[in-house]
This record gives sequence, C-alpha cells and structure tokens, in this order.
Amino acid sequence: MSVALELRGLAKSYGNFVAVEGADLAVEGGSFLTLLGPSGSGKTTILMMIAGFTEPTAGRLLLDGRDITALPPEKRAFGMVFQGYALFPHMTVAENIAFPLRVRGLGRAEREGKVRAALDLVQLMGFAERLPKQLSGGQQQRVALARALVFDPALLLLDEPLSALDKKLRAELQEELRALHRRVGRTFVNVTHDQEEALSLSDEVAILNHGRIIQKGAPAALYEHPRTRFVADFLGKSNFLRGVVREVGPEHIAVQCGPLRLRHFGAARLGEEVLLSLRPEKIALAQEGDNVLEGRVLSSAYLGAGHAVVLETPIGPIRVHQPAWRAAVEPAVGEALRMAWAADAATIVEDDDAA
Amino acid sequence: MRRDVVAKLRQDGGWYALLLPAFLLLSVFYVTPILQVLAISFLEPEPGFSNYQRIATNLSVQRVIITTLRICTITTLLALLLGYALSYTITLAGERARRWWLLCVLVPLWISVLVRAFAWVTLLRRQGLINQSLQGAGLITEPLELVWNEFGIIVGMVHYMVPYAVLPMLASMREIEPRLLAAARGMGASRAQVFARVFLPLSMPGVVAAGVLVFIFSLGFYITPAILGGGKTLMVAEWISLQILDLIRWGLGTMMATLLVVTILVTLAVFSRVVNMRRLFGGGA
Amino acid sequence: MEGAYKPGPLGRSLGWATALYLVLPLFIILPVSMTDQRFLSLPHEGLSLRHYAGLFASSEWFASIAQSFWIACASTILAVTTGTLFAIAAWRLSSRATELLRALMLLPLIVPSIVYAIGLYRYFGWWDLLDRFMGVVIAHGVTGIPYVVITVSTALASFDPRLEQAARGMGASLRQVLAWVILPRIMPGIVSGAIFAFIHSWDELVIVLFIASRDVFTLPRRIWDGINENQDPIMAAVAMLLILFTTVLLVVDMAVRRKRDG
Repeated sequence: MSVALELRGLAKSYGNFVAVEGADLAVEGGSFLTLLGPSGSGKTTILMMIAGFTEPTAGRLLLDGRDITALPPEKRAFGMVFQGYALFPHMTVAENIAFPLRVRGLGRAEREGKVRAALDLVQLMGFAERLPKQLSGGQQQRVALARALVFDPALLLLDEPLSALDKKLRAELQEELRALHRRVGRTFVNVTHDQEEALSLSDEVAILNHGRIIQKGAPAALYEHPRTRFVADFLGKSNFLRGVVREVGPEHIAVQCGPLRLRHFGAARLGEEVLLSLRPEKIALAQEGDNVLEGRVLSSAYLGAGHAVVLETPIGPIRVHQPAWRAAVEPAVGEALRMAWAADAATIVEDDDAA
Repeated sequence: MRRDVVAKLRQDGGWYALLLPAFLLLSVFYVTPILQVLAISFLEPEPGFSNYQRIATNLSVQRVIITTLRICTITTLLALLLGYALSYTITLAGERARRWWLLCVLVPLWISVLVRAFAWVTLLRRQGLINQSLQGAGLITEPLELVWNEFGIIVGMVHYMVPYAVLPMLASMREIEPRLLAAARGMGASRAQVFARVFLPLSMPGVVAAGVLVFIFSLGFYITPAILGGGKTLMVAEWISLQILDLIRWGLGTMMATLLVVTILVTLAVFSRVVNMRRLFGGGA
Repeated sequence: MEGAYKPGPLGRSLGWATALYLVLPLFIILPVSMTDQRFLSLPHEGLSLRHYAGLFASSEWFASIAQSFWIACASTILAVTTGTLFAIAAWRLSSRATELLRALMLLPLIVPSIVYAIGLYRYFGWWDLLDRFMGVVIAHGVTGIPYVVITVSTALASFDPRLEQAARGMGASLRQVLAWVILPRIMPGIVSGAIFAFIHSWDELVIVLFIASRDVFTLPRRIWDGINENQDPIMAAVAMLLILFTTVLLVVDMAVRRKRDG
C-alpha cells in the first residue's frame, strides 16, 4: 500500500502555547487511522490542520506526494464528519447530501443519482425529505457520513463522530463505520478520546499527549507493547512496577522490585532502573506462575464479565481483573490471596510521568 | 510570524472585504461630518477656545445647560418609576397576557415621534381635549396651561422614554428565577418584603442600564421638546438648531454639540463598568 | 411563572396606569381624525371620513408620502446590504478589532441626530448633496446600519459556526457559503433589521430639517410644518395612517421572529 497522507513536522502554536509539536505521520492509502488522546492533546488541532481550517505554524502536509499545506479548505475538499454533525438545519436530508455536489456545479439528474446512492450506502432510503431535526442522533450521524462521502473525497476526516451518542448506539455505529470503511475503500482519519472506539475501529492508532504523537501502531501492538507509561495507562489499565535489573540472562532478566525478584522476558542492562507495565487481566488469582505475589483484598467490584480486584501487597496496591466465569476464587474483602503472572506478561515502558 | 499574517490574510481576506462597504460608508458619511462639527467648535469664528469660554460667561448658554439637565433628570426618574411598574407587571404576567403588555410597549416605541407629539398637543393645548372636557364638566373655568412649557415637555418626553426604560429592565427581570419569589413567600416574607429584599436588588442592573439609556437619549432630544415646548423652554438640541439655522453662529452651535457628545460618551464610559453595554445595544456572538 | 407570584395592588395599578398613559394618547387620534368639524376636535354630530378624503385628494401630501416611501426603500436597501455583510464578517472574524468596529457601527444610535444633522448640513454643501434625494438616502441609510447590525448579529449569535466550516470543507466558495448556508439561516434577522431601518427612515425628521428644504419634502417634514402652522384635521388622518402602518410592520416583524424561534 502507498502512503496517501503525510505530515512532516506539522506544528501549531498560539503565542507561547504549543498546541501541536512537530507531528510526523504517514497514513496508508485506504487505511483507517485514529488520533487518540485526552482533551487538549492536540488531536483535533491536527485534524483541523489536515482539513485546512487551521493554518500550521510550521511543517508540511502532503497528499499523494503533493504539497497541500497552502491550500484553503474548499480546495482540499476532504470529506468531513463534524463533532455534532453540523448538518444544515434549513435543508432536508437530500439537500444536505446534495450540497457538496451543488457547489461543484453538478447537474440535477447527476446530483439525484449520487444522493440516492449515498442514502443507500448509509441505509437511509426514505428519509430524503426529512429535516435534520426530525431525525434521531444515529440517523443524523449517518446523514453526515453520506454527505461527507457523496463527492468521493480522497480522504474522510471524522471529528469525534460517535461522542454524541449513547453507549449502545455507539457500539452499533462502530460496527457500521467499519463496514462502511471496507465498502468504500477510502482513507479515513478519525479523532477520538474514547480508547475502546479507537481500538475497535482502526487499522492504526496514533496516541497523542501534550501536543506530541507518543506512539503509532496497530491496536493490538499498541495494547500489548506500549512504549511509554502514558500509552499503557491511557489504553486500558495497567499496574506499574518499578525495579532494578539484577541479573541478565540469555532470554530473561531478573528485576528486583522491593522484596520481590521478578522474572521477565526482555532485554535490559544490568543495574538499570526499569518500569514494568503489567495488565490487570494478565494476573491470575490463586494460581501458580513464573512470578508469585501474596496480597490481601482491599476491594472487589463485580462488573458482570469479571471482577475488578485491588490487593494490598508488599510492593503496593495491585489491580487484578479476573473473569467471573469459572473463577478459581470469589474474592472477598480482607481475604489473603496469592496471585501469579507469566514472565512474558509485563512490558518494560519508558516513564514519561503521565500520572 | 510574517507567514502567519500573510496566511491569515489570504484565508480571511474575503471576509475583510465584506466589512468594507459599511465601514467606508460610515467613515465618509458619518464619522467625518461629526469630526467636522468638533473641529468647527475650535476654529470658528476664530481658532482657539473662545467658544468654550462662553460656558463660564454666557448666561444663555448656562441657562440652556441647566434647563436640559433638569428636564432630563426629571424625565429619567419618572420614566424609571413608570417603566419599572410596567416591567414588573409584565414580568409577573402570564404567557398570553405578556404578549399584549409587550405590544403596549413596542407599538408606542416604533410609532413616529411626530405623531406622538401631535397627539399630546391635541390633548394638552388650551382648546385641547383635556381642557375642553374639564371645562365641560365644570371643574375649571380657565383653561390650564398644560403645554408649551416644561410640564408639556416632560409629559411628552416621559411618554417617549418609558418604552426605552422598559426594555432593559424587562430583560434583567426575566432573568430572576421565579421560584425564588415563591420560595421567599414560602419562608414567611410579606409581599413588600419579597419585593424589597429579593426582587428589587436582583433587578437593579436593569434599572441602572435603563437609567443610562433614558438619560443619554433625553439629552439630545429635539422634536418632542421643540413641539411641546413651543419655543419658550429651550433644550440643548433646539438651542443648537437655533444657533445654526437662525443665528448662523456655527462656533457656538458646534461647541454645544461637542459638549453634548462628550457628555454622552463620558456617561457611557463611566457606566460601562456597571452596565453591560452589550445588552443595551444588543451585541452579537 | 403563572400563579406562583403576583404583583400587589400598588404595582399592578401603576403598571396599568403606565400602559394607559402609553397607549391612550395614540387612540385619541382615531376619533379626532374622524371629526365632522373643520378644526382639530372630537366629533360633534357624527363621524366623517372627509379628512381622509382630503388627504388622498391632496397632491402635496401624496407627493410627500411617495417621496418618503422611496427614500425609505432606497436607504433600507443601503443599510441592509452593507449592515448584513458587515455583521456576518464581524461575526466570522470575531477579533478585538472587529468588536471595536462593531461598536463604531452603533454610534448613530448614541450620538444625537441633531449633532449629525448640523455636521451633514455643512458637509453635504461640499458634496452638493443638499436637498437631493440621494443625500437623504445616504444619511438615512448610514444611520439605519446599526439596526441591521444589531438584529443580524443577534441572529448570528445562535448560528453554529461549524456549519460554515462544514460548507467550506465540502468545497463551497465564500459566495456559495453566504448564499446557501448563512443567509437563509439568518433571514429572519435580516428582515427584522430591514423593517427597523425602514421605519427609521420613514419617521426621520431632524436630519431632513437640515439637509432638505424644497425639492425633498418628506412626510415627517410636512407633518412638522402642519403641527407648527395650522390645526388642520388632515394631520390627524395622516397620524392615524402612520400608526396603522407602523403597527402592521411590527406585527409582521413579530410573526417573522416567532417563525424563527419556533
């Protein structure tokens, strides 16, 4: 696959405030990329710079190798789904979808055909003559998608497209959005602060914090191998164990963490101080393993699919997530429990002090 | 930084162009003639401050200033009192009644000031409807002097200003949470106490705004005082017109005009700390 | 607010008295305009429409009405086009500078017209615009701008700026954004502004007293002369028609606003 969109050192500052610090990013043609980060991380600024609504202070933007940094938004004409959808309230659904065709001077017949096809694409046939305020949130979202795709844009930009919907509808529309992406085969760039949405939708996720892209990769790679503490913490939950490398073997190292000596698959220098990220679901309760730790249950919450347990241990509180189905034990507060995890369960992360 | 400016201009250039027609029109045909008035007050009949020295020396100048301030103060107080009562009634009225009450305010507001002055002349003059009815009823033998004096001016001006007083006060009263009043009654406060302790303090911003608005509008008022004053009681605006059209004393007339504008702008500046000017003149965004 | 809290007898009676004070003098004109007498008075024997007939037969009054109407139309067009574009651009750019400019646009509401009128009296002498149709149109148009700026700005305050971005992002030019997205949305505000600018010009007297004399003799100017010089009941008929006209315009405005809010 080829690179469709490329950001080279794209930066934006407002006076002394740096919103985006030299972002480098390559988006594969036809892929679904999500910019994920907390609010104020600069993700929306990057999207607005791609769309052309925000002028970058430095850097370049390339589309299929062509420099488009200087083009105004109407010349770029990327499809865009706005936060809250920005449907024209005085136009019907059909008129809304026809708008990008109308500004391009397409004839009526051609417009009608394309609008029909777009309505079909988002399964809203029969809603053409409604006004946006007569539609539900999910339907409005689909109209916004149809409007953004109807003129066959090179790139579709989505600004928190699902944030206005309730949880159940959001899950449904995530499915639909993925299916739509496969069907139209365009490059999608999405912005969200919802990590679940990012993981489930995207081919690739770029994680941002404080105006910088921290890590970019496929969802599974990011989740399993977070590069920094921030990534591990923002994507899912994690326990962080700090220790010093005491022993370096051919395959594993030994990390001294308080009174504990942990076996860990990985590479590090002898005497180095490391931070280990350990996912709560990779710890098993009342079982044996490469690393074993004793603790007392501080709290336990039943979440349906599992138990979220916090245990007090000699190396501080540890979170454990245990499936409820066929659990070895039913954790009760005050109970002493043994927990264990495999040597390849944890990841060494860079401490970017995100806490 | 330069790249920023150039880029911004390129992006927003079209929008700046849209500002231009109104801006040029206002600059050439509004601001310039007014600046010219300010300039003449210092240049004619001879350059210097001679026109302004008249404030201290000329009896006619002093008299018109004092008359104007007196009439404006009385007008403002009366318009505030009546306007307050009206806004209070409108605020507490039901949804349907409120529409009718509002019409009572808006229709007079937009009806020609001339028509209103004419109505008052018809009512108040010696052979007018009021004097005729009073004489017909045998209550008076001699007609009352109701117009072509300060009384007539004030009656007409208050009539003109009450709607202007109502609008800002109404806006601020509508922001008062109605449940507060019911709650205060529920806690055992009498109607008078609720009004004095809760409603009145909360509506004060509107009262101040209304006062400023009515006062500055009254200062430069021309038509109503001219018609209802009958040339006997002169207020600033009519006096200026007299200087320019009849006596051809441009220096004195423009001096008074400058004084008028400065007084109004200073009043606005002083109260802009207290009053939300945006609300007075309906700012956007 | 119904029922929760009602004004006391003092507040209520003062409120009623004020409303009557505002409205009654206007109603008194109706019977006076229909008097059967030759001078301003209440009807003695019966109602008569002869003063209305006199008004419509008078070429002088008719000429003034027509002149006022055309001046009001032309100055409204001037105020609405420039004021609307200005309000939209100021809203879109929304910087400290445009805020200042907007305040400048409101000057005609704050500065008394007498000051502007004497300034224009001399200024128009140079431009040779005294006693000209064009001169009055310009003066009324410029002083009508604030009404349009206020109503359009208010309409824009509730306009979602993302709609503009969305339109631009889909490839619409500035002209297309204006014509297809912004203008249709703020039409009620523009209509309101136009109505107020029209009434402003239609009623304006102070400026006209200074910059017009013979060739331009507007309706307010003729009423002014009438009030000062004679007690012809035709005046009452004119006043009545003006009241009707303004009321109709206001009702239209209310309907437009209700449509916008609903």
